[in-house]
Amino acid sequence: MNNFRDIEQLSSYLDGQLSPSESERVESRLSSDPELASAFDDLRIARGILRKMPARKAPRNFTLTRKMVGLKPPLPRAYSVFRFSTAFATFLLMLTFAVNALPRLSFGAAAPAPVAQEAYGVGGGCTTGCGGGGPESAATEAPAATEAPVVEAPSLEGAIAPTETLSTASADSAREVGTPTPEVSTLKEPESESVLQNQAQVHAEREAVVPVIWQIGLLVVGLVSAVIAFMISRNARKKWS
Amino acid sequence: MDETALIQTAQHGDLDSFNTLILHYQDMVFHTALRILGDEDLAADASQDAFISAFRSINSFRGGSFKAWLMRTVTNACYDELRRRKRRPTTQLEPDTADGEEMDSPRWLADPSMTPAEKSEADELEHAIQHCLDALPTEFRTVVVLADIQGMDYSEVATAVHVPLGTIKSRLARARLRLRECLRSFEELLPSSFRLEGERNL
Repeated sequence: MNNFRDIEQLSSYLDGQLSPSESERVESRLSSDPELASAFDDLRIARGILRKMPARKAPRNFTLTRKMVGLKPPLPRAYSVFRFSTAFATFLLMLTFAVNALPRLSFGAAAPAPVAQEAYGVGGGCTTGCGGGGPESAATEAPAATEAPVVEAPSLEGAIAPTETLSTASADSAREVGTPTPEVSTLKEPESESVLQNQAQVHAEREAVVPVIWQIGLLVVGLVSAVIAFMISRNARKKWS
Repeated sequence: MDETALIQTAQHGDLDSFNTLILHYQDMVFHTALRILGDEDLAADASQDAFISAFRSINSFRGGSFKAWLMRTVTNACYDELRRRKRRPTTQLEPDTADGEEMDSPRWLADPSMTPAEKSEADELEHAIQHCLDALPTEFRTVVVLADIQGMDYSEVATAVHVPLGTIKSRLARARLRLRECLRSFEELLPSSFRLEGERNL
């Protein structure tokens, strides 16, 4: 019985893949070993049958279309220009929105300060139950609240403490005074003036941003460029196909 | 056909050049796919996929045998198809005869260059060989199809299936032995001109 190494060598010999010296050795063995010669015949027969197998022709053409391979048409230079202008106009438009929104955001962050100040001054700083206010109005308590820091200031320790201290102080002082003091109206006026000043400042800042007409212009440029780029692309595809 | 020039222009994206190459190789590609897959429709699908894939990766061809490079794409497409078939097995729609044999392909019988007897002989031979090929492991089948049916040399086959030359020799020897054993059982069915004894005089 031949081992597989012999079979492999016979197969290579059949295909002319052995060196001349190896071929000579195989040939001498084939002439002296009938079993090996029979195995060689088997290999040769198998190969002969496969080689005689009728070749089948392709049932159809396998030629490719541009669509099948996902090829894109060559686009003119103008397409790139309009595509870039679309992107650039869009970017600028977004930028103008951002620039317009910026002052509002920065003022929005600064706004709580005067409001808090105002509330503090008026005495409305205590959002949940100022306690002991009784029938007196907020306006009645306000002067006491404004006066309170002057009295209590040295004893203030934390940032939150003043509210409570002020609340009690205002309540107490209101009880002690009993009637509203005439300073209420005179103290409120400078506060409202500062608020008005702030509002005017905000208004001025709002007017300093990119005008709407610029935004509209950019929008128009972006849209027109996009439409032209689309038309160029579509025409190129039509011509190509 | 200047194959090198066509390949170069195809590498620059010229589809017409590549289509010229397709027309030249499509019969060989289809026949290879058919022998590996054993099914005409699957072979056609695999051939089409192989050509699409070949065009997309034509820039990876760095010279050498284009046929071997193309066959590598084909064998990959066939392996993909076999994997798909394994995942989703299909039932054959081709009707069988009363004794369980497949009916002769009308396309095959319509070949005008053959007499009815020759057609019958060739058909029997084809069925027998395909049956034996199908019984081989895929990697053996691929090697024997490329080497013995397509007549490619060992180095081309090694390039096509991406395995060392020694492995090709080993697989080919094993495949031929197994085929010989398988065809022995079909010997009586084979037409006289294809009897194995007759091959001894080749």
